[in-house]
Amino acid sequence: MTIIKTVGLVGVAALALGACGGPTVEGGGGTPTTPAAGGDATTPGGETTEAGFDWSSVEPATEIAFWTNHPGGSMDIEKELVEKFTAETGITVDHVTAGANYAEVSQRFQTAQVSGDQGDVVVLSDANWFSAYLAGSIAPVDEILAAADVDASNYVDALYEDYLYEGEHWAVPYARSTPLFYYNKEHYADAGLPDRAPESWAEMEEFAAQLTEAGHTTAFAYPPEAEYPAWTMANLVWGFGGQWSDEWDFSAAHSAETIEALEFAQRSLEEGWAAVASTAPQTDFAAGANSSVIASTGALNSTIEAAGFEIGVGFLPVGPSGDEKVVPTGGAGLAVASKSTPEQQLAAAMFVSYITNAENTAAFSGATGYLPVTKGADMSAKYAEQPLFEVAVDQLERARVQDFGRVLLPGGDIALARGLSEVLVQKTDPAATMQKVADEMQSLYDRDLKAVLG
Amino acid sequence: MDTATTPTDAELEVERRRGRRLRKSRNYLTFVLFVGPNVALIMMFIYYPLIMNLRFSLLDWRLGSSTARFVGLQNYIEFFTSPNGLEVWRVTIIFTVATVAGAMLLGLLMAVVLNKRLPGRVVARTALFSPYVLSGVGVGMVWSFIFDPRLGVMRFFFEAIGRRSPEWFNDPRWALVMVIIVYIWKNLGYAAVIFIAGLQSIPSDLLEAANVDGASRTRQFFTIVMPLLSPTVFFLSITMILNSMQAFDILRIMTPSGNGTNTIIFEIYLQSFGAYQRAGYAGAVSVVLFLTLFAITAFQLRYVQKKVHYQ
Repeated sequence: MTIIKTVGLVGVAALALGACGGPTVEGGGGTPTTPAAGGDATTPGGETTEAGFDWSSVEPATEIAFWTNHPGGSMDIEKELVEKFTAETGITVDHVTAGANYAEVSQRFQTAQVSGDQGDVVVLSDANWFSAYLAGSIAPVDEILAAADVDASNYVDALYEDYLYEGEHWAVPYARSTPLFYYNKEHYADAGLPDRAPESWAEMEEFAAQLTEAGHTTAFAYPPEAEYPAWTMANLVWGFGGQWSDEWDFSAAHSAETIEALEFAQRSLEEGWAAVASTAPQTDFAAGANSSVIASTGALNSTIEAAGFEIGVGFLPVGPSGDEKVVPTGGAGLAVASKSTPEQQLAAAMFVSYITNAENTAAFSGATGYLPVTKGADMSAKYAEQPLFEVAVDQLERARVQDFGRVLLPGGDIALARGLSEVLVQKTDPAATMQKVADEMQSLYDRDLKAVLG
Repeated sequence: MDTATTPTDAELEVERRRGRRLRKSRNYLTFVLFVGPNVALIMMFIYYPLIMNLRFSLLDWRLGSSTARFVGLQNYIEFFTSPNGLEVWRVTIIFTVATVAGAMLLGLLMAVVLNKRLPGRVVARTALFSPYVLSGVGVGMVWSFIFDPRLGVMRFFFEAIGRRSPEWFNDPRWALVMVIIVYIWKNLGYAAVIFIAGLQSIPSDLLEAANVDGASRTRQFFTIVMPLLSPTVFFLSITMILNSMQAFDILRIMTPSGNGTNTIIFEIYLQSFGAYQRAGYAGAVSVVLFLTLFAITAFQLRYVQKKVHYQ
């Protein structure tokens, strides 16, 4: 056989192989469809069933898979809860390490959709679940939870509402956190400041003046671009009455209020009392490089352990708008795979509700430092062990669901982070920069979501 | 009386042909048995993904979605015309040229020094080469500490000359400079070792003759050493361009969001597995990367190789 014939044969075989697998392709010019957008549960093979699927005849599967990254070092407590669940229900749970972080779990979950071996319960972060929704990879949980006799009203409202879209919930809260204000008690004492966090950004400015006088020149640190600045800085922007977006209206990103908030941040850098951290802000804070910082409640335990000084925590500062709902929610939830069979989905719902019930939420939060996601969880033991944790939980009353532009728009968080980095590091004009960011978010929406969401 | 008949020439010829065919068939079977598994694996892991990727590049497909839309060459057009695509090209070209040229020039300089009979040169060669075999992830993490503008060692160097440390991580312009420095540091030893091997293959009698003729060291280097090193330069330029254009680990670890360091390979990762999850678009960028590397290699083999001076 000649070389040409051999190469030709290989090419034909490769082409034949190439025709197999991958997504079902629709014709050009059509509208891409999203299986999940209809909001229905799915049957095996991904065929969509009508809403109101009859769950009464469905028996839970005897084996399901739980894909997780063990957020907050939760491998041991997750394993313990999985074993307890199996002992109580007889349902075996394959406890799978599906990644080292939320992004990796999401990548693996989305990639596994092609093979159909994607697990039944998956940990998805606030910034990832909507991509899974758009790809039709997760199922709405309302009916499945009802079928498993789970009372979803037991979840903390602000945390459960994060997963509400188009009238249905797409996950339940699990490893949830909010930003928290951390301060260096020694620095504050040196400066003659009260032993508490500033109540407002105006007061933060006053505190900074005293800290600078006392020789602590960096009173506050903003997060760098790689550390999700649009999450924690939503507090500042909301405090001034601004937003990253008003649902899918991105003009809010360059509203007068948003610009005023960013001008405040830029001024704080110019005046020298604030800096932009080069790594996770709490890392610089624990090393004593700055006197106060806003970081995740999930970092509380590790920051206390890393810091060689006494730490104080407090509610996030409010702004001139006076609105107290200035605490963005964050962290991860548990979603149910749409490709799982109804039997697996029912077992998944039982498992999800079990590890997030009041008793197990208290155990999980106590072990990890994440916020309790279920009302009535008894956190007294955790409070006794770590009184600062109570501040983080009390702050939940000020929690607010994040803006669509950051958490639901694919690429929106990156656009915001880059814009914020330009404003804070390269000192660009906030109005012009945020106009550019708003335009970019609009073009991302037009390109990726407009046709899908209608 | 012997009744056996003597085979005719024609019958012998048929028998010989049959034997040849049998041997050929056996040889072919042996060939298939040896080559078959390799061809199957290559098809499965090279050609199949290549063809599938080519197909995906023509789709508007979100990673994980069971449906996709055929968009023809739209993904390619977007990559070559959008501001983001042009920025990716700019970063890729700067990163590749700077890292290849930097590592080769410094590697040559180091090779010339370490080719001399100096005390401790074995230790020096080992120290120079060792970063090359280190994990890119580990290298990235260690250098992240060094470059930290507030806590890192690099800060003290800048303070010593009365300057503030650049915002290596937050300013995209400095971020690119930072990863170029680290990438050159990691690959310098590889270039130096290859250059040392090249220098040692140059016949000493040529240099001795030039010495006798009164040629200066500089003249010897540029008229004898460099031309005879051209095969080494050629080999290194091919391998290092291919490696630089596929560099990922250090970039990902030191600059996770890719702002300022978004090379083609990083763009593929961010678009397919990052926040965008645009598997179709990432497929198109992958095809462009493949064709670019193919074209660079073909150009070098076709034209640059002619300029190489082999002994």
